[in-house]
Amino acid sequence: MTKSKTRKILSGILLILAVICLVVGGINLPKQTGTAGEDILQDLRVQTLLNATGDSVVESYVAIAKKEATAKAKEAGGGMAEIRDAVAKAEEETREKYSNAETDYSQIETSGLKSAITVYIDSIKDYAETEKTARDAYIAEHYDEAKAALDAKHEQMLAAGEEVNADEEVVVDMSGFEPTKEMEEKQAAAKETYKGVGKEVQGIFPLLDDAALETLEGTVEGILYQAGDNFALQYDRYTANGAKNVAGSAKVLRYADDLLFTAIFLIVLAALLLYYELLVAKLGMPRVIIGAFFVLLCFMCLWYDLSLSTLLSNTVVRMGMNAIMVLAMVPGIQCGISLNLGLPIGLVAGLIGGLLTIELGIPGWGGFFFAILVGSVLAAICGYLYALLLNRLKGDEMSITTYVGFSIVSLMCIAWLVLPFKSLKLRWPLGTGLRNTIGLDNTNFRHILNDFLAFNIGSFTVPTGLLLFMALSCWIVWLFSRSKTGEAMLAVGNNARFAESTGINVDKMRIIGTVFSTVLGAIGILVYSQSYGFMQLYTAPRQMGFVAASAILIGGASTSRCKISHVLIGTFLFQGVLTLGMPVANVLVPGSTISETLRILISNGIILYALTKSGGASRG
Amino acid sequence: MDNKKNFSEIIRSNAVTIMFVVLCIVCLIFSGQTVPYVLYELFGRMSRNAFIVLALIIPIIAGMGINFAITIGAMAAQISALWMIEWGVSGLPGFLLALVMTLPIAAIFGFLIGNLLNKMKGQEMIGGLILGYFANGLYQLLFLFIFGNLIPLNAPGLVIKGSTGVANTIDLSNDRGFKYALDGIWKVPFGTALYVVCGAFALYTILMLVMKKLDAKKAGIRIAIAAVLVVLYQIPFVASLFAMVNVPMVTFMVIGLLCVFNNAIMKTRLGQQFRAVGQNRTVANASGINVDKVRVIAIVISTVLAGWGQLIFVQNMGSFQTYGAHEQVGLYAGAAILVGGASIKKANNSQAILGCILFHLLFIVAPSAGKNLFGDAAIGEYFRVFISYGVIALALVMYAWNDVRKKSNLDEL
Repeated sequence: MTKSKTRKILSGILLILAVICLVVGGINLPKQTGTAGEDILQDLRVQTLLNATGDSVVESYVAIAKKEATAKAKEAGGGMAEIRDAVAKAEEETREKYSNAETDYSQIETSGLKSAITVYIDSIKDYAETEKTARDAYIAEHYDEAKAALDAKHEQMLAAGEEVNADEEVVVDMSGFEPTKEMEEKQAAAKETYKGVGKEVQGIFPLLDDAALETLEGTVEGILYQAGDNFALQYDRYTANGAKNVAGSAKVLRYADDLLFTAIFLIVLAALLLYYELLVAKLGMPRVIIGAFFVLLCFMCLWYDLSLSTLLSNTVVRMGMNAIMVLAMVPGIQCGISLNLGLPIGLVAGLIGGLLTIELGIPGWGGFFFAILVGSVLAAICGYLYALLLNRLKGDEMSITTYVGFSIVSLMCIAWLVLPFKSLKLRWPLGTGLRNTIGLDNTNFRHILNDFLAFNIGSFTVPTGLLLFMALSCWIVWLFSRSKTGEAMLAVGNNARFAESTGINVDKMRIIGTVFSTVLGAIGILVYSQSYGFMQLYTAPRQMGFVAASAILIGGASTSRCKISHVLIGTFLFQGVLTLGMPVANVLVPGSTISETLRILISNGIILYALTKSGGASRG
Repeated sequence: MDNKKNFSEIIRSNAVTIMFVVLCIVCLIFSGQTVPYVLYELFGRMSRNAFIVLALIIPIIAGMGINFAITIGAMAAQISALWMIEWGVSGLPGFLLALVMTLPIAAIFGFLIGNLLNKMKGQEMIGGLILGYFANGLYQLLFLFIFGNLIPLNAPGLVIKGSTGVANTIDLSNDRGFKYALDGIWKVPFGTALYVVCGAFALYTILMLVMKKLDAKKAGIRIAIAAVLVVLYQIPFVASLFAMVNVPMVTFMVIGLLCVFNNAIMKTRLGQQFRAVGQNRTVANASGINVDKVRVIAIVISTVLAGWGQLIFVQNMGSFQTYGAHEQVGLYAGAAILVGGASIKKANNSQAILGCILFHLLFIVAPSAGKNLFGDAAIGEYFRVFISYGVIALALVMYAWNDVRKKSNLDEL
């Protein structure tokens, strides 16, 4: 708890505000679906409806005014030019008169209209539901047909060497769909009830004729009913369509859920203020900042009515797909080569494994494990050579590993161009070399872990296989660090000189750690690719080492110490901020790439922070 | 015996340079490009790149390794260039004003970089590299969301309607820009340039002789060299090689000035401090030098020079990629100076110039050599990127290797 008085007072004020928000929101939220909410909506509906029909009334007035002006001008004996002027003037005047004329809705008796609207909405709802069932039935009937057609198309495209989008959804051609008898009946019934609404509207605007009403039907339907309506959606639609007379209580009702979120947010903020020092001491400054930022993003998602559960579900998937690469940092740090920024060596080995699987056409799990096996063997060999290099350069690893990693990636760019792969899934059909991104599909290991035993809780999908694999890998790494070899390795990482004096073979331990890290990198990129659905070649792996390094640092590791929990926390926070950041940024600044900028800043900022902590600040 | 040892020693300590010379020659043969074209390209590339490579020398001497954070200096230059276009200050005045404007911006950036690098002593290179990436994020923030949105830009072409932020390419060749502002002042064919340079050199030598700062023998040799060069150029074959070359005299003069500056500063007290700090921070600190301050000054100078170098680069190119032009500056300059035989502890002007020549020679010939050898120009492209990274990796490895060996030798003693 903080000692500063001002902060205590400030957090007290925040808490009081939170309680107010909580009470107001809590009272109003259930009302949304109750009669109070329905009354507000009904009122808004009438306003919106009258606004829409009122526009067409103005047109009628304009037509009348034009006619009168023409007649007058003719009477006065004017020529064509004068008539035209008079008509234009009359139109302008009429429009001006009505454009500013706010209809005073309180003076209009609307109870008849309201009940007519209720009847009408019920009947369109009825019709819409019937239509949906009919359509669903039609789609279910024709789905297999459409899927077969799509598969055939994809095969043809592959044969012609074009890119195939594995994510393409099966779309059933609805042109053969014909309305059922029931639908027609319901539609007729809806039309009948619309007439009731029309009569009421005509009662208010006597000028509106039947023809005008008929042309308005589509607009009115669109305003009054849309599939999946709830209070917030209807409220937003009506206010966007001209309902201006909104009572304060209605606004509170609309934003009741946001008030609740704000209340929780204020409580979190107050807690942060109170326990700031404790948090910083326990977690370290960067983790507090990024954690707070993540929480803020969560609340922003709620405030902007973005689906938080979908986004969190995506976060979990992205955590699972990145975690193994982050885990690869652990043996590196433990054995004392600090952050293994030469991770791309392992990534490239994994990619070769994946490519071989596709080239040989090994399907499903067999293919995935084949890729892991080949990737691991290659990674072990490269990692061994790499470790021999690092053993000669103790103490200066980071900049060297970075540039060695970069060199390998650019060397492999040449290799991707010349390696003799044959499959058209891998090669450009024209031109030389492998594709930039290779789409995985159901014939190989696309989503093989993600879909294994996956289940849904609401809109939150749990990628069971992916999480199991992540847990298994973490467990193996943890188990290894408990083994005799692992403990020797940790000793080397802690203090190489001391370890040497106790008879541990320092070089050997460093080799084991580096090889282990590189192999994990190879497995990590395969897990990443199967979840992403694409294998990315050429320059794509270059920055991945940095991303993995920054994730473990965010989790609380330093360049010389780390735990498995750092991997999990760091990956979740980092990927969470990125996943949530994108939609929130798009609401704030539409169409921007600000979340990419965010990634650059967070990822490199945290590495810089870790470097300042590892380097001595002394002058000597 | 002694000679032999020296010979192998020379080869070993210049392995990168020698390897590069061989590589350049091989690529040159296979590229099928004519020598006049290669020379024309080389002079163009030297005029726009040499300055920035020379900006790396001082931090190396001050023991901070290759200053990969010069990308941040380049960013400062691009901010200035943007505002010159916005204000419509074109031509030479625009260029000079951009130089003036870059100075404080880059100096402030350099000050911040220097202070941050002081917190990660021994890790300056990786720190500078990552700092460059980090600054790139801030730069994107500035150019995508602040310029053109919060701070409106009115000049035509800077902001494209319907997209956020500053346009992808900034054009300097229209009437608002300063394309060729420096190059265009005095541009002459190679022959004229040679006569001017040799003439000036001879005059200078004679002057020195008259003032008795130089003995007659040395002066004679110098004048003879100048004369031989002029005579050589009279051979039609030699002259034809340089037929396509046009020399932007002022640009090269500026580059020469920077070389003189680099040498001159080393003779000052500050230069001595750079050297002392570079050799051993503890000793320097003990002898009363404020190590941190000296290191910050080295980085500030380097950052400002890099900014000016980037301005020279963009005025020659005539346009630049708003979000990409600065990204590779550190990589290419760092690789170039290492190719010239510099290490992360030692560097001088001639290494920088030689490295720049060799590195860019390879850049010119590699793509077409790749195309002729493997039937694909992309291979040459990737090859030169590989070479850039590889050279840096190799130089770092060799340096660390020697360092470790020296240490273990000491241990044995």
